[in-house]
Amino acid sequence: MDLNFNAPHSMGTTIVGVTYNGGVVLGADSRTSTGVYVANRASDKITQLTDNVYVCRSGSAADSQIVSDYVRYFLHQHTIQLGQPATVKVAANLIRLLSYSNKNMLETGLIVGGWDKYVGGKIYSVPLGGTILEQPFAIGGSGSAYLYGFFDQAWKEGMTKDEAEKLVVKAVSLAIARDGASGGVVRTVIIDSEGVTRNFYPGETHPLWHEELEPTTSLLDILSAPEPMNT
Amino acid sequence: MSKSAIELPPKGGFSFDLCRRNAMLSTKGGVHPPSYRKTGTTIVGLVFKDGVILGADTRATEGPIVCDKNCEKIHYMAPNIYCCGAGTAADTEAVTDMVSSQLQLHRYATGRESRVVTALTLLKSHLFSYQGYVSAALVLGGVDITGPHLHTIYPHGSTDTLPFATMGSGSLAAMAIFESKYKEGLTREEGIQLVAEAICSGIFNDLGSGSNVDVCVITKGHKEYLRNYQLPNPRTYVSSRGYSFAKGQTEVLTTKIVPLKEKEEAAEVGDAMEE
Amino acid sequence: MANPKQHANWSPYDNNGGTCVAIAGTDYCVIAADTRMSTGYNILTRDYSKICKLADKCVLASSGFQADVKALQKVLSARHLIYQHQHNKQMSCPGMGQLLSNTLYYKRFFPYYAFNVLGGLDAEGKGCVFTYDAVGSYERVGYSTQGSGSSLIMPVLDNQLKSPSPLLLPAKDAVTPLSEAEAVDLVKDVFASAAERDIYTGDRVEIVIVNAAGIRREYVELRKD
Repeated sequence: MDLNFNAPHSMGTTIVGVTYNGGVVLGADSRTSTGVYVANRASDKITQLTDNVYVCRSGSAADSQIVSDYVRYFLHQHTIQLGQPATVKVAANLIRLLSYSNKNMLETGLIVGGWDKYVGGKIYSVPLGGTILEQPFAIGGSGSAYLYGFFDQAWKEGMTKDEAEKLVVKAVSLAIARDGASGGVVRTVIIDSEGVTRNFYPGETHPLWHEELEPTTSLLDILSAPEPMNT
Repeated sequence: MSKSAIELPPKGGFSFDLCRRNAMLSTKGGVHPPSYRKTGTTIVGLVFKDGVILGADTRATEGPIVCDKNCEKIHYMAPNIYCCGAGTAADTEAVTDMVSSQLQLHRYATGRESRVVTALTLLKSHLFSYQGYVSAALVLGGVDITGPHLHTIYPHGSTDTLPFATMGSGSLAAMAIFESKYKEGLTREEGIQLVAEAICSGIFNDLGSGSNVDVCVITKGHKEYLRNYQLPNPRTYVSSRGYSFAKGQTEVLTTKIVPLKEKEEAAEVGDAMEE
Repeated sequence: MANPKQHANWSPYDNNGGTCVAIAGTDYCVIAADTRMSTGYNILTRDYSKICKLADKCVLASSGFQADVKALQKVLSARHLIYQHQHNKQMSCPGMGQLLSNTLYYKRFFPYYAFNVLGGLDAEGKGCVFTYDAVGSYERVGYSTQGSGSSLIMPVLDNQLKSPSPLLLPAKDAVTPLSEAEAVDLVKDVFASAAERDIYTGDRVEIVIVNAAGIRREYVELRKD
């Protein structure tokens, strides 16, 4: 087995952001890998930027961490100077600014989501080159390839908070089932006028999709008990 | 993203042109840089009931040869923070020394105990700016005003925060132990026991790791560095007879002595001292 | 693709490490090898014998790539069986030495990745050691070492066993002056030392002693890290 620990850490990821009537739901899996080794099976890829804005990170772990650290710092300054919370648009444009102007150095795609008093819940996706897109829903990371069709079918205008969160959890669990680079638990963040709610869905609570096996605590539970050989 | 088709001039940061030249030289030109002392290593850390415990093996290798059988891989950062290092020995040593001096200056300036996140941010921003060329993989642990903290830092500057962590070439062997036996709220004794077991798993199953077990226990306002906590690899055989290294091991075939300098004699010449 | 020639990006060889030593005395021969088999930073097994008995007075120790070593041992055993059928006797150790050289050179351009030392007793009952490179260059010597720890062990053997200079005329006998017990003790010590510094040497050393009485085996534990 070739394990190159000098290889950059990358988050072969599934990240999603969905708007509903009144706010947004962000979702992500929790796997961080170096090649074939899962370096962290419980990582938190939904990072706080301000009280009302969060970001889902994908791609190189180092790059996405540095970008979100800088943006958090800028937004804190901005909030102090303005005397009121930064808008989602400002946060998304700061991410775009860093992603676009350093595009030859960075390898990260981000989904910004949040709520502000001017426009309510908003999702912005900032993929690799520094494009910025305001979208009703956004998906990203390696697992997103499995989700385009699902979202085209399942996303509806004007969902409730519960419907939206159920959709996010279902989407991430579907991607976890099919994408080898995504895995672990599902984390969600719900942001609306009331504030922020974080939820956590462990692996054993995910629905079993096509041909999936029941989770077991030990391999010995599914292997038949060894019997002495009698002839 | 493919290394972009249009090469934009870098706006800032460091230039890695020489690194790229060296990589090209070693693949195409057959010119290889000197080998570094690598700590093919097992390092671990865990959070227990009242703090964190760090552990490390003590083997340093240079290719297939063990160049230090009892080196120290748990580095001092601050009185309440220690850091295990894997990767190129010089890099782990330099990066931890640098950050520990920055922390000391910060303590002089603020008069407050250092925080683990401060060390974490200093380390990750240094490593990020060197884009992975400083190959230091670290397990950072400590207890500060906000409680016990354990982080892993990768050479490219990404960080993780976990209740238990392993790094280095023996990290898989050690993680196997943690994944099967770690639980929340371990006592101090249970914690040390588990850390030692994880390190031993690396020592015996990973050829890059070996020799002894070092442990460092950090609790609130107190730390204990247990250097060579276990010595599981004593020498297995010592010859009963001593060795003599007699002179004349090399056969002398002929001998010829050439004096370095011709002997010169000064002869008095007539009336040199005439008045 | 700009490059029309596709190169295989895998290697038909692996290095499974390990160290072999052989010492010839006046009436005995000691052949030893560690029992660790590894690849990269992984130990495949701690108990794999690198020593193969080819005849009653002829023993082969080989390190390198296990698959090639196995194939080589199989060829030598088969050739030796044919020899016994044709001549109704076992091959002499110098004979086996030449056969091994020929077998290695037969694969000159796709060599066996095997580093061999052959030890045993010659027709006069004197200890003999043959040492090889991977493509069949060989030499009869008084002692030798091959494999991953050889560069650590060879200078010690040179110092302790003092092979007579090959420049001397008339040529002196290559056998070592040590007694059998002293030679075995030296082998144990050099393996314990090599295991300290070579990561591919360890776990256990298997020592085979060939003398007039027959073949005897001994084992000594080494570091397991």
